[in-house]
Amino acid sequence: MAVVLIALGETGGAVMSQLRPAIERYATARIDVNRAAHGLAGSPEYDDAIRARATYAAEAGLSFFHTHAEGVGLILFFTSTVVASVVPGRRRRGLLYLLLAVGSLFPLGYLVYGIAVLEAGRDTGIDLAERWILSPLGSLVLAGLIGLGVELAGAVRRVRRPSAS
Amino acid sequence: MREPRGAPEAARTWQFPPPWVLLVAIVLIICAEVGGASMVRFKVELARWARNTMLARPAVHGLVGVRDVDEQILDEALVKFDAGLRLFHLHAEGMGLVIIVTTTVAATLAAPGPARGVLVALLTVGGAGYPLGYLLWSGLIPVVGLERGKAIAEWLAWIPFGGTTILALWWLVIIVARRLGR
Repeated sequence: MAVVLIALGETGGAVMSQLRPAIERYATARIDVNRAAHGLAGSPEYDDAIRARATYAAEAGLSFFHTHAEGVGLILFFTSTVVASVVPGRRRRGLLYLLLAVGSLFPLGYLVYGIAVLEAGRDTGIDLAERWILSPLGSLVLAGLIGLGVELAGAVRRVRRPSAS
Repeated sequence: MREPRGAPEAARTWQFPPPWVLLVAIVLIICAEVGGASMVRFKVELARWARNTMLARPAVHGLVGVRDVDEQILDEALVKFDAGLRLFHLHAEGMGLVIIVTTTVAATLAAPGPARGVLVALLTVGGAGYPLGYLLWSGLIPVVGLERGKAIAEWLAWIPFGGTTILALWWLVIIVARRLGR
């Protein structure tokens, strides 16, 4: 999963860079189709400003996906390796793997962010992605990391105990 | 990494990639760190060099001799010049880590043989070469202009090295997926 995330992050970055004009055209077309959601008023200057803001937000979603997928892929690799090395008990390890792995789908939320901005309007789209994907999955990663922190603290205590006694 | 009980020791621990791979990754991370520090320490000197180089090549940058127009062009080029250095710093740090992780996975999970060597080499060369494209782009902007600099960096670094990395990563994904399927 870590390798898939890194591969998706790399590919997303390349797509973003090579297909920028096509993405901009697509974004503008979707904004025009969803004019009510974006509050287009028929005034060219006002509408262009709204289109520019929404397109920027959609591109930011793709850019965040690229950076987060690569970063979270690395984090997943290193943290799950630490879990495998330090955490005793199959169930505890399994729980941490689950939290970290499912939570690491978090960067996909930025893809949803980019699409939702175009389909539902800028603010509604961002809110939707944050509320339903980024926050829940991000919280799972945090829970996994906190759990790993607790396990590491336990491991440190176990190492110290024999020498203290 | 844990495998079922009874698996050989080598299968339960990550295997190191060849030392040259680790050296490349670490040198790349060092370059990124040095690049980031240099950007801060020599910010004024770098901007001055870029500006003077652009002023010495008015035709390349479309400078017309009108201060208002020229300053806008110079400002835009300087922002991109700075962005190129910044992106080199970010990508070199990231790709250094990506090289270590992906080649470790390849060294552990890919079957021994020439194919594994090729995969590790592709991951390393692609990962190390790609960020250098940003450095190249940044250095080329004052000399040959924004668009030409970008085109050169694209064809000399981003497309070949980035393409290599992407292909190698998906190859690695297939190897890991097959391994899971066993």
